[in-house]
Amino acid sequence: MTDHTVRLYAAAVALVVFFLFWAAIAAKPWAATGEADPRAAAIDRREQRLARETRRVNRVVKRRFAVYAKQLSRRKRAIARRERENAATLAAAPSGSVSAPAASGSAAAPAAPSVSVTAAPPVTTTSSS
Amino acid sequence: MESYAFAAMGTSVECLVDAPGSRALRSGMDRVHAEFHRLELLLSRFRSDSELSRLNRERRIEASEDLRTVVTLALEAREATGGRFDPTLHDAIVAAGYDRTFDELPPDSVDAPASELPSAGGEVTVRGGWIELGPHASLDLGGIAKGFAADRCVEQLAAFGPALVNAGGDLAVSGPRADGPWPVAVDLPSDRLTLSIDRGGLATSGRDRRRWRRGGDERHHIIDPATVSPAQDVPLSVTVAAKSATAAEIAAKCVFLAGSAAELEADSARIPAVIVWSDESVRLVGGLRA
Repeated sequence: MTDHTVRLYAAAVALVVFFLFWAAIAAKPWAATGEADPRAAAIDRREQRLARETRRVNRVVKRRFAVYAKQLSRRKRAIARRERENAATLAAAPSGSVSAPAASGSAAAPAAPSVSVTAAPPVTTTSSS
Repeated sequence: MESYAFAAMGTSVECLVDAPGSRALRSGMDRVHAEFHRLELLLSRFRSDSELSRLNRERRIEASEDLRTVVTLALEAREATGGRFDPTLHDAIVAAGYDRTFDELPPDSVDAPASELPSAGGEVTVRGGWIELGPHASLDLGGIAKGFAADRCVEQLAAFGPALVNAGGDLAVSGPRADGPWPVAVDLPSDRLTLSIDRGGLATSGRDRRRWRRGGDERHHIIDPATVSPAQDVPLSVTVAAKSATAAEIAAKCVFLAGSAAELEADSARIPAVIVWSDESVRLVGGLRA
């Protein structure tokens, strides 16, 4: 073996050793056992805080919506009751006042009519007045 | 069954009494006829010599008891219906072209320019024996006057037996006939529906009859207080049963003016009604069943 060949092998070995060192340093073996990145830790903490906050806000919204739904249903019942009262007033008030003719001659207060569809031949007709 | 018909209040009036004919009944029918004409002379907006026309002209008058009663009824109805029934729409209906009796209306003409825009909800005060109109209030008691007259006259005829008075569609019934309730036909666009009613009133509000044209546009006589012009997007007609003809007239107008919500309103208020739509579909609502 000539000196030239030995030098060539030595250079190749040195090159291999150099790349092995580079790979070892690039892998940062000390980082695996050392402290976590503080920025990542901060992001983790922030994420957990936001998750807790989200759960809390959801609970508050759910509770408030339940209160609102209860009030809405109470309000709807009140509106329906008022509409029924208004309809009754509408049906009753004029007829009550129409007892003005009753005061001038007749005695009976008007009662609610009983109305249904019939097949009997009509005695008269109602149309737009 | 005795019947009697005559013309009054710009329409035909029909009286039916389920009793054998007698001189007393005939005389009762004559009194009803006279009563209709007396009320027309008080309540008609088409007669310049009526008490109502004088009130609209002079703005404050010492009024008869009947005019005060009908105006009070109309104002109570306006209050009860949140303004949907409004007797102070005289100027609006005149502005729409209905400025004379329907028989005298030309089928089409050009609008005269209105000197002032009509308004709704005008102030009317009934105090003591006086009625006073606010600045923009003029009264039209059209339908409610006919209902009032029908209610009054049916009570007069009830002394002879079960009676029915039909004042051009505003119909009052005193009680059932010997052989059951009164069958009354409701005019539909291409058919008829018959309702039986034992007492109270029936009335129909609609745009299917009293309509005309101005400048080519179709108009009708039911003014929507919200727009102060002939109501739009409303049924063709609404027939309603109530405790009296007056109450039925008010309810029919209110359900009619509810427009697309007419069925819903009649149903939720339990007002028995027959609603006819523009496509000629017929709906029975408010507990009325076929």
